[in-house]
Amino acid sequence: MDIRLSGVTKMFEPDIIALEDLYLSVDKGEFVYLVGTTGSGKTTLLRLLSREYLPTRGQITVGDKNLRKISRREIPFYRRDVGVVFQDYRLLPNRTVFENIAFVLEAMGIPPRIVQNRANEVIDQVGLWRRRFLNPPQLSGGEQQRVAIARAMANSPSIFLADEPTGNLDVRTSEEIMRLLLSVNAAGTTVIVATHDRYLVDAYRQRLVELHNGRLKRDEHRGRYDIDGEL
Amino acid sequence: MASFRYALRDTFRLLFRHWGLSLLTLLTAASVLYILGFTALFALNVRHMVSRVEGGLVVQAYLKKGALPDDLLAKLKAIPVVTSLKTISPDEAIERLRAKLGNQARAVTLLGENPLPWSVEVSVTKAEYITPLVRDLMIFPSVEEVLYSGKLVERLSVISRTASGVSGAILVLTMVISALVIFNTIRIAIYSRKEEIEVMLLIGATKTYISLPFVFQGLLLGAGGALLAVAGLWATYASAVAAIRSSLVFLDIIVNRQVLFQFFFLLFSFGATLGWICSWLAVHRFTSRAMRPR
Repeated sequence: MDIRLSGVTKMFEPDIIALEDLYLSVDKGEFVYLVGTTGSGKTTLLRLLSREYLPTRGQITVGDKNLRKISRREIPFYRRDVGVVFQDYRLLPNRTVFENIAFVLEAMGIPPRIVQNRANEVIDQVGLWRRRFLNPPQLSGGEQQRVAIARAMANSPSIFLADEPTGNLDVRTSEEIMRLLLSVNAAGTTVIVATHDRYLVDAYRQRLVELHNGRLKRDEHRGRYDIDGEL
Repeated sequence: MASFRYALRDTFRLLFRHWGLSLLTLLTAASVLYILGFTALFALNVRHMVSRVEGGLVVQAYLKKGALPDDLLAKLKAIPVVTSLKTISPDEAIERLRAKLGNQARAVTLLGENPLPWSVEVSVTKAEYITPLVRDLMIFPSVEEVLYSGKLVERLSVISRTASGVSGAILVLTMVISALVIFNTIRIAIYSRKEEIEVMLLIGATKTYISLPFVFQGLLLGAGGALLAVAGLWATYASAVAAIRSSLVFLDIIVNRQVLFQFFFLLFSFGATLGWICSWLAVHRFTSRAMRPR
């Protein structure tokens, strides 16, 4: 699914402008890095795309859906087509790795046998087969991140949004995560990754969109990190 | 079908994984329903005793000499609060007099012709209906005299009205309090899983899918709490009945098993329904708020 943002502004009370007059198009199957300093609007943009937020002005269309116009009843069905990896993982601490992944599929009413096969498949894909019966607190940060990625890719979404997926991870683990994201993209999924990871952006060059104070500053085909004010 | 199966499985998962909170909710539900049941049983017994005394009150209307009771009977039968009517012929009246006089019954023969008139004994459902009935009877052309226990009737009317009002108010208050306590306990249980619900919403679970396990859980905890309350009440009431029968024989309390079974079934249904409604309301409020786009 392609994504179109036209004149999107998002304001928070009392008068904080998180995004301002943003125009952006992402085609189906693209891989996009979203970069910018803290507070530049990266997370806000991802949240607008997952329909956690509504734009104050402007339109966002994902495929044939105008996010402003979809009803509350339609939101869960829209979100099933958007895999999200949250900055803080947001895994369910009392459920095992397997259960954390399976419940996304169960929520869609998929029969148990298919759920089991698919959950095992993605667990294997992210390399956590031997950890599948452990709970998140028993895993390392990198492993928890992989569970979050596995959960987001379990129902084969058309769009994959990842907010700082390599934050606080060492270089080797970050590279593993990056390869996972690239494999998701290789399967035809549109991937948008908000990141501060200069090393990965420069090592795996893709389309790069830079935000600055909520405005689009740069949009380059195979851009380098190069953000003013950051080392 | 699969969703329903997952909901059932998650219900038990919620119950046992958070067993401390589940136990707390169960015991809270049992306690408030016990208090509610106790209040209701007390109110029912007060009502029962008052109505037994009221049902025993009789108004006697004596007719004028030579008048027949047919017209009066027709009028009384049309009054809905009248529960029983009994006509006493002059012959029956004289027989009663003879029986009352015992050894002096012969004195009745000295009267010669039977001087006693026809009379009608009337019973009504509540003491408060007696005074208007007496007023009606007094103005009836064929009625000579009306006898009834005026002061007792007035007192009973006041007692009956007060008992109904106070027990009704206490019952409503207890019901509201139990609903609030159960609602809040379940709400706390739901809020303790706030993050879990939010994540579920973000990954595309529908409100129904999220709500079902909580609603089933509320239903089970409400029903479980009600069962405990019923068991406790049963034991309390059985020992109360035994104690009253041995020391306060004059107290006419409810011992009819059918009435008691109906009462306990009603309490059980109330508990289950309350658990269901409270959990639905709590989870509905929470998910609606969480789904509201910011």
